[in-house]
Amino acid sequence: MSSAASAHPSNRLLFEGYDPGTFYDELIAPDGKPRPCAAAMYEQLASMPLETFEERRKLADLSYLVQGITFTVYADGRGTERLFPFDLVPRIIPRSEWDTIERGLAQRVMALNYYLQDIYGPQRILKDGIIPRHLVYSCKHFRREMVGLSVPRGIYVHIAGIDLVRDSSTGQYLVLEDNARSPSGISYVLENRLVMRRTFAQAFEVCEVMPVDHYPAELVQILRSLSPRSGERPNIVLLTPGLYNSAYFEHCFLAQEMGIELVEGRDLVVVDDVVFMKTIHGLTRVDVIYRRVDDDFLDPLAFRSDSLVGVPGLMNAYRAGNIALANAIGTGVADDKAIYAYVPDFIKYYLGEDPILHNVDTYLCSRPDHLSYVLEHLPELVVKAVGESGGYGMLMGPSSDKKTIADFRERLIADPRNYIAQPVIPLSRVPSFDPSTGTMSARHVDLRPYCLYDGEKVTIVPGGLTRVALQRGSLVVNSSQGGGSKDTWVLRGDV
Amino acid sequence: MMLSRIADSLFWIGRYMERADNTARILDVNYHMLLEQPPDTYKLRWDPLIAITGERSRFYKTYEEASANTAFDFLGYSEENPNSIFQCIMLARENARTIRDRISRELWEDINTLYHKIIRLRDDGGGLSRFCEVIRRGGHRFHGVCDATLPRDEGWHFVQSGCVLERAEMTARLLDVHYHQLVEGSTILTEARSHSWMAVLKSVAAYEFYKRQYSQIEPMKVAELLLLDARHPRSVRFNISALQSSLYAISGSVPGTYANEAERLTGKAHERLTYDNIEEIFDQGLHNFLTELQLTCRTVGEQITREYFHYAVAS
Repeated sequence: MSSAASAHPSNRLLFEGYDPGTFYDELIAPDGKPRPCAAAMYEQLASMPLETFEERRKLADLSYLVQGITFTVYADGRGTERLFPFDLVPRIIPRSEWDTIERGLAQRVMALNYYLQDIYGPQRILKDGIIPRHLVYSCKHFRREMVGLSVPRGIYVHIAGIDLVRDSSTGQYLVLEDNARSPSGISYVLENRLVMRRTFAQAFEVCEVMPVDHYPAELVQILRSLSPRSGERPNIVLLTPGLYNSAYFEHCFLAQEMGIELVEGRDLVVVDDVVFMKTIHGLTRVDVIYRRVDDDFLDPLAFRSDSLVGVPGLMNAYRAGNIALANAIGTGVADDKAIYAYVPDFIKYYLGEDPILHNVDTYLCSRPDHLSYVLEHLPELVVKAVGESGGYGMLMGPSSDKKTIADFRERLIADPRNYIAQPVIPLSRVPSFDPSTGTMSARHVDLRPYCLYDGEKVTIVPGGLTRVALQRGSLVVNSSQGGGSKDTWVLRGDV
Repeated sequence: MMLSRIADSLFWIGRYMERADNTARILDVNYHMLLEQPPDTYKLRWDPLIAITGERSRFYKTYEEASANTAFDFLGYSEENPNSIFQCIMLARENARTIRDRISRELWEDINTLYHKIIRLRDDGGGLSRFCEVIRRGGHRFHGVCDATLPRDEGWHFVQSGCVLERAEMTARLLDVHYHQLVEGSTILTEARSHSWMAVLKSVAAYEFYKRQYSQIEPMKVAELLLLDARHPRSVRFNISALQSSLYAISGSVPGTYANEAERLTGKAHERLTYDNIEEIFDQGLHNFLTELQLTCRTVGEQITREYFHYAVAS
């Protein structure tokens, strides 16, 4: 275990020979000096002996292991548990930059909600021809059952995770994708902060970092407000697919932090369109479900009949107005990757405002002109399946071999509606520790802030989850592809 | 309001942790006792141990002979044996992980750490003694952490019920198997017998207590202590009494009444353990008495499940 530490001279400094390179570096300016927002943190790290840093790194890893913050890899048949790699160098965002991001996200989340109200309601946007009707109706996650059904307080997306990247060529933040179903990762934001506070207490004394711990309190307040029974203390539960779901730790964590019951489908039963949970002393009524189970699996009677993690009859209870769900059913029609291309138009249409955060240029393969461009430029583009998430169904043109590209070409021609393509964005980078060399190296990052919508305003805990591609040169930050995470600091004052 | 599934998990965390602890105790004590014995008695001494765990037929499917090595292999880490110590710890951890939002952070971290510790021990090839030591200490820590960090609500009583039910059954089985071997089996030397009784007492941490009470090793006295003593925390009576209290706390029943079949059977067993004396039990036949007791424990477990964890809902 200690080989990494002893293989490198312990008196060497962490940032010796650090090269920010040609990409935008979030912490280090092109001249090799720290950016103003990173100066205080840099000073602490730059003078820290490698040995000390390694010690803290192990301390942090141990803390994740003891707490069991692991994800399970089933490839070897024994269900080995791995740590989600955590890099100790934080990503730092100056306040002024964050303010813009925050306004941009709030605007976007409002627009997504208006869009959903409209699509499952009067469908003005279709009648006005802002977005093609067939594109909406052909979304994998469009739920016909939701049309004309009113949801509690008119909120569809209570929780959104909007993925942002900074384009090195312009220095601008761009929206890479919207996650409006059940975005995960917030528990890492909160736990990473906890571990950082423990391992780098001094850094928090000099840098004024904005807190993130109020997320569960904000969320539970929104959930409480959705209860269909007024007057009584609502019974709120978090519905999880169970222990073997990769986000199970998060489900436990959030339930505990919010002080609500964590339930599985088998704990719930619907009697006369009312949802109950099975307790040791009989049935207890449930009012609000924060569900972390996908639409498809939510109710085997209404959706996929082979679902073992759902609650038979739940859709009827929802229709009868006896239960509130967060997020609502059918929000996937907002985060479809083809619909994504129209979100800037929604913002103008519903809010009459110009988008504060821009999209990445997107080619819709459903459009013949776009498709022919995409087919000609496949080796330069990123291709994504519209209804997928988590890095699945994706082609990274520049790093793919000819056969993979040829495969994708066929898939695109066979089912163009299912794909979009985007140019490869040169993601910004943050210094990250490379255990193989014992030094800091620049690694690409993205950012997923978590937005909460209560029907009037959008609340965002400062920062979010910074995911980092720990492999040299890699642009893929997903944990299944060797990605890790970092603590994200939004500074209180502007520096 | 406690979810049935969570109560179920708490109950089984208690049972699995206790089962691991009990198995480690008998394994360790047997091992040390046999270090001073002539080698030809080996088979005789390891076989009963497998019998106590109730996995005899499964054992002889994999191994030809019961020895220190095969017993350790089977009871320690075997994946073939659903009741091996490793499997118990793994299942206890799995249950704890499922309901980690409902137990104290300390309790979860403690069980999780124990699990990782014994995996490391396995990978480093640690021996039987060290392994048993880790498990026994783990057991003590488990009780300590439960005691010091869990609120005394229904959840605590389900953990308790699991522990004491498991312990009562294990002590009854330990006595049953050894009594059969040592009193009814005629092939064992007298001096070895008293040695074995000492091992039995040590495996339930009752040796010192016994010595203070009776000084001489006599099978009937050992049985009396293990069955009827109201003070020793591993006697059957002590545990059935604790089970009764926890069941009452869960249902809200008052002493002298019962709200379900589990309480009725527990109360009935408790009556006998309180008012029968050891001579009466021997007159009736110890083996019969112990068989009935073990059956009661099994049935109580099933009834708790039916009453609280898996009941039918009319919809």
